Amino acid sequence: MNARALRALVRKDLLLELRGREVVPSMAVFVAAAFVLFRFGLGGTDLAGGTRAATGMLWVAIVFTALVGLSRSFAHEREGGTWDGLLAAPVDRALFWAARTCSTFLFLAAVQVVALPAFWLFFLQEHAGPSYPVLVAAVLLADVGIACLGSLLAGLASSVRAREVLLPTLFLPFSIPLVLTAVRVTTDTIPPQTGGLDTLGRLGFLALYDTVFALLGWALFEYVVED
Amino acid sequence: MPHTARLDRATAATLVAASLMAAAVALIFFYVPSDVDQGYSQRIFYFHVPIALTTYTLFAWGALNAARYLWTGREDLDLKSYVPMHLGVIFGSLTLVTGSIWAHISWGTWWDWGSRELNTFLIIFLFYCAYFMLRFSVEPGARRSRYSAVYALLGVGLIPLSVLAVRIAQDALHPIVFRSNGVNMDGSMFLTFCVALAAMLSLAVSMYLVEMRGKRVDERLAQLRRLAQEAA
Repeated sequence: MNARALRALVRKDLLLELRGREVVPSMAVFVAAAFVLFRFGLGGTDLAGGTRAATGMLWVAIVFTALVGLSRSFAHEREGGTWDGLLAAPVDRALFWAARTCSTFLFLAAVQVVALPAFWLFFLQEHAGPSYPVLVAAVLLADVGIACLGSLLAGLASSVRAREVLLPTLFLPFSIPLVLTAVRVTTDTIPPQTGGLDTLGRLGFLALYDTVFALLGWALFEYVVED
Repeated sequence: MPHTARLDRATAATLVAASLMAAAVALIFFYVPSDVDQGYSQRIFYFHVPIALTTYTLFAWGALNAARYLWTGREDLDLKSYVPMHLGVIFGSLTLVTGSIWAHISWGTWWDWGSRELNTFLIIFLFYCAYFMLRFSVEPGARRSRYSAVYALLGVGLIPLSVLAVRIAQDALHPIVFRSNGVNMDGSMFLTFCVALAAMLSLAVSMYLVEMRGKRVDERLAQLRRLAQEAA
């Protein structure tokens, strides 16, 4: 793997975002609005469904926020016609996927730095703080999975009719196992709940999910850009 | 002539499927004893489980041909991957319907969110519906074949992960018929099950052959039309 090329590609994505501020601010506003919407959806004063419903909302919001970001993924390549330049570079095509995965992960993590405290404030203020190491591990592992799969699917959807509609359709079935597990882990980080060994197993599942889609993304991306 | 040979194969497969299906229906309704716990209604098991296994087989077949397509680039493999997927969605819908009927009869609910198999199946079913959305959003050609194959192969990752995720997230209610230490059925039930499974699989094979033939005729027709237009 060509580490220099990867660094250059990631740096390009981050620079573009720093200069244009297209993706991260919209994701942040989207996730905050989603929390407010869900908070009212679950009842304004009394939270219906308790912590379990709240963590469910958290993960649904994260998945949709990721989709908001991913829908702009490959937009520069498509609209600016920069694919040809990139494809002319003498590097493995899978590197484009790896770079986009890294930048998607970074965008998502940046949004979550704001979103997670906001979530606690909106939904769980009266609860004691969560078990931070477990929560951070779960969120980061889930982010890696979302980024690995999302950048591959965004690549698929980017050159297709009705791409804005298609990307969520392609992505959501894959997010179900992820959300199912992440919700259980997150619920178990909130005292007095503790998952114990089960939590470790579920974190292991998230790591397995990341591994599977990292391998598939790496192997399959060259067929997405081959033109 | 290859064309008549294909016609014969499809007809033969259809005849095998029809006779096996008749045998299966006869065994299910007249031969096999009723289940001790669930009574007569448990007979839907002999439809539901073979249909579900056929669905998995079709998806595996489609994914295998998708991988072969990406590996070799042979154009006919695209159709050989798409047709099993298409049939898989039909059999998948039947699995959801029969499973839902069975759930209603034995557990009293149309859908049980605690059932591992039903929920896993639902995830996989949604995935294959998305496959069709993708396929119909791309113009026919090499790109469509490639994109379909890539998405089909992602499903190979999703299926075991869904099984695992549903399993570690909740507890079981679904009856377990096949345990790791063997089959939990008596001889006549097992025979009926095997015949029903063979009937469903041969039905899938004959549907596959018929649909492939139709698609090939379509392609040839389109080709002829293009030639006629060029000549005119």
